[in-house]
Amino acid sequence: MNILKFLKEKKTLIAFDNVHVINKAKISKTKNHLHFEKENDYFVFIDNYNLTEKLIFEVNKGLNLRIYLITYQSKNIEIEYEFNIKDNASLELYTNFNTRRNNNLDLKLEFNLNENSNLKLMNALLYNGNLNLSTSINLLGRKSSAEVEVLNIGHGENKFNIDQFIRHLNKATVSNINNSLIASDKSKLKYSVSGFIAKGNEFSKAHQSNKGIMLSDSCEIEVEPKLFIDEYNVEASHGAAIGQMDEMQLYYLLSRGLTEQQARSLIIFGYTNPFISMIEDKDIKRLLTSQITRVMKGKADNE
Amino acid sequence: MILEIKDLYVSIEDNLILKGLNLKVNGGETHAIMGPNGTGKSTLAQICMGHPSYKIESGDILLDGESIIDKTVDERSRLGLFLAMQNPIEVPGVTNFDFVKAAVQTRMSKDEHLRIGKFILKFEKASQDLKMGQGLAHRFLNQGFSGGEKKRNEILQMKMLNPRFAFLDEIDSGLDVDALKLVGQNVTELKSNDLGLILITHYQRLLDYITPDFVHIMINGRIVKTGKDELIKRIDQEGYDWVKKELGIEDEDIKPYSLGVCPSKH
Repeated sequence: MNILKFLKEKKTLIAFDNVHVINKAKISKTKNHLHFEKENDYFVFIDNYNLTEKLIFEVNKGLNLRIYLITYQSKNIEIEYEFNIKDNASLELYTNFNTRRNNNLDLKLEFNLNENSNLKLMNALLYNGNLNLSTSINLLGRKSSAEVEVLNIGHGENKFNIDQFIRHLNKATVSNINNSLIASDKSKLKYSVSGFIAKGNEFSKAHQSNKGIMLSDSCEIEVEPKLFIDEYNVEASHGAAIGQMDEMQLYYLLSRGLTEQQARSLIIFGYTNPFISMIEDKDIKRLLTSQITRVMKGKADNE
Repeated sequence: MILEIKDLYVSIEDNLILKGLNLKVNGGETHAIMGPNGTGKSTLAQICMGHPSYKIESGDILLDGESIIDKTVDERSRLGLFLAMQNPIEVPGVTNFDFVKAAVQTRMSKDEHLRIGKFILKFEKASQDLKMGQGLAHRFLNQGFSGGEKKRNEILQMKMLNPRFAFLDEIDSGLDVDALKLVGQNVTELKSNDLGLILITHYQRLLDYITPDFVHIMINGRIVKTGKDELIKRIDQEGYDWVKKELGIEDEDIKPYSLGVCPSKH
């Protein structure tokens, strides 16, 4: 197992592949179940994991957890994760999926939230290959809520197909999706963002915001925001603002003396910075920043 | 130190806006440019800054005797030009602090290093002077700012960047009486022989706080009359019709040209 160096120092690390397990965090783990019973910040590192069964994360009642999930793959695989968040529990999950050989990854993330539970999901999507990601969030319990923050940077010829579903299946449930998308080179980012509020689930709120910037003529960003609402007494909104770099923003920054390259970099930084600043762990923040720097190198130059 | 605009003709999308404009501003001078809507006042500021939507048909803009019309926007800024914009642009995700720091650093030579402690103190002082409130440094650039905050933020940038010639384009719009006084005081404090000021305004009220050395009336794309305080008072009382009558100027059917709108809040 090839664990990132800084992760080895973490006291709450659980790292595994199909054969080995390093469980410094002392999490209860059966074959495909991870059971979180203590409040903490956990670092989960998964290397070339390829089980036919889905991997299930259980968050006990009333717990407040933060999990940093980092995975590496060296071959094309399909994998499914399920997160069950019990009553009054709160999960902040940061994910960063990586590949070593430009592999294809088919990934399913499913979240089941019980009464009064919260999810904050932060997906850093800089995958260097083709990624199909389906995120399905079921707000099962009353007053459960989910916030989804995505930073997706497409580069090279990478293709991202992302489906996001949030199902409001109880009263007073809240969801908020913010997708920040950057496409460069010949990359293609395709998003289907769906919110469902079933009948009877009054006082629920569903909001979606999608913003995207295209840095080349050959890249594509396609976003379909959708809301399916079968209840009157709810609050919902969706929107998508996708385009090339804003000329007025560029002019404003240039008028203060920034060079065009600096101004473009700063505008791009404006897309990545809010996401990065949400990450609490300094090492994870540094890892993401270095990944962004690497994939964005030269992308601020005017084509 | 001199900024000179010589017989300038400027168009946007085939509409001729400036029609032979002449203006000379020396360091230490404050010039007020007044005039009715759509007469080209903002165009003058934008073309001096190098806005790419405008086209110079003929004429020249000279800074210390050197033409700057072939300079890029950022080069003009680094040469000492500043434009406090009528509609400051929102840049989400970029903090005020990062932006101003980057702008200050672009003015430094390769051997210089930004002394961050000193910079922070200066930023905080400017922020306090303009009553911008705590947390300004970490707020995203102009995003979610009120109209007045945006205008004060322009002056804050001006204080941090120490320009040689500054255009303040309708800096008074969107400001209440107290904020206008505050902006006026801050701009007046910046006055020195190393700064030439060009104030673009419709109203006398800004000029109650920033006393101009010269007042120019601009109609139909050129400066038609230049004077001092007495012009401000008469415009305030009688508008611009008397100038047109006096000089035999006929109205042209030119509407203000919009370069776009500010992004709305989400």
